[in-house]
Amino acid sequence: MIKLQNLTKKFGNFTAVDHIDLQIETGEFFGLLGPNGAGKTTTISMMSTVLLPTEGSVSIDGAVLSRKASREKQKLSVITQEFSMRQDMTIDEVMEYQGRLYFLPKKVIRQKTEELLDFVGLLQFRKRIVRHLSGGMKRKVMICRALMTDPEILLLDEPTAGMDAVSRRQMWNLLRQLNGQNMTIVLTTHFIDEAQALCGRVALMNQGKLEQIDTPDNLIAELGVFAVDEPSEEMLHSKYFHTREEAIAYLSQAGGHASLRRTTLEDVFVERVGRRL
Amino acid sequence: MGIITVLWEKWTEFRRDFYKITLAAMISPLMYLIIFGFGIQTTSHGEPYLQFLIPGIVAMSTMTGSFSAVAQNMSVQRLYEKALDQVMVSPTPLWQFIVGQIIGGSLRGMYAGCVIMLLTLPIQTNLIYNGWSFLMMFLNGTVFSTIALVLSFLAKSYSDAPRYTSYIIMPMSFLCNTFFSTDQMPGGFRQIVAAMPLSQASRTIRSISIGDNPGIWGYVIQMVYLVIFSLISFGFIYKKKNL
Repeated sequence: MIKLQNLTKKFGNFTAVDHIDLQIETGEFFGLLGPNGAGKTTTISMMSTVLLPTEGSVSIDGAVLSRKASREKQKLSVITQEFSMRQDMTIDEVMEYQGRLYFLPKKVIRQKTEELLDFVGLLQFRKRIVRHLSGGMKRKVMICRALMTDPEILLLDEPTAGMDAVSRRQMWNLLRQLNGQNMTIVLTTHFIDEAQALCGRVALMNQGKLEQIDTPDNLIAELGVFAVDEPSEEMLHSKYFHTREEAIAYLSQAGGHASLRRTTLEDVFVERVGRRL
Repeated sequence: MGIITVLWEKWTEFRRDFYKITLAAMISPLMYLIIFGFGIQTTSHGEPYLQFLIPGIVAMSTMTGSFSAVAQNMSVQRLYEKALDQVMVSPTPLWQFIVGQIIGGSLRGMYAGCVIMLLTLPIQTNLIYNGWSFLMMFLNGTVFSTIALVLSFLAKSYSDAPRYTSYIIMPMSFLCNTFFSTDQMPGGFRQIVAAMPLSQASRTIRSISIGDNPGIWGYVIQMVYLVIFSLISFGFIYKKKNL
């Protein structure tokens, strides 16, 4: 279980994360959604000790996480938004470095490297220097590196950014599979469909604060499960309804271009967060 | 053991960039030897100036070798590649990472010093190097590795690393007992310069090289520097909020 208590991060006068309280259960797939600059990456960075909080704490299974907490850090793996790895190493060396940092035996490092690189289709590029890989390939290396250590908790900061559609779906399947093995996953993403497809619970974050935390279904139900889109010359207006009958009744009075559809998590995000941007 | 992991990382880097590292370790010291040693042929205390210069160049090479190995590497890892995040998140104790960087950096400095020793071997200067010389080279390397670590934690941009070289390494190279004795400096300034780590390294290696007893103080002073800058490095890596 991960517990964030009164977690705050300030950079000078700017408060990036503002007194967050959050509990993520073991085996949960949790999504952190928010616009650019909402504080998602800063939160993930504090959950991985890359940044230290100005106030508050992060604890894992009851133990406060710090840079000295090797036992708690052993449970963690992170995929950062940036390609945070040695660019002058080969893929093999990046994997070996990760294995060594987590004290894995050499035999395990070799075996896991082969398995993971094979899974993501990078086995034939294993001797290639990271700098010479494409963005999508680097992202795959980051994923392999994070999974190398069989973490109990996986922190993912925009893990599918720069991936093509097929790789993205492969990634989703992999994450579902890992979550099925009781791995706790915390995901930040710009792709709301990704969060809706994967996360059991999501938190909407804006200006460093948590606005709402619930399951995607509950958040959608609260807004209304049916949406009627009314396109105009300037923009698209959507209205939300709790029953199909209400939505159809509205649709019949609306203009000819109006259409009915199911509400998505993206609608919730736009309504709850986007309206205030 | 995290120290071994860092040494492995340094070794892979060394293996890959062997020619570049070796060439970089040779060029400026060779220029100094050619210009000051062979070009401007002179004597120092009745002996050929080369006798004075070579131990100073060896000490200077351990300084530049270890400083550049750590400063550039860490600045790139921290500010550009963000590869330091991988270490911060991992369970490897961060003090082991720091110690690994210090030892690895120092070994690179020793390599640079040894390259100069080998290059000057054909000159037949009858200079003596023994275990105490190598110990001082190692200590000097550790001191400048820790200084490099501290500065790379302070660096705000990738371009700060070369600036530190201009502010610290360059003045030390010229002032700290490499090309001329600190005894010739004016009082007050002389004492400050003489207490610098490179001055101590040059003086000790030079004394040994001509068969004198360098005494223990050079080693003690280097140890004091090592402890101070190591503690600052540990403070940064464990306590700095926005590393």
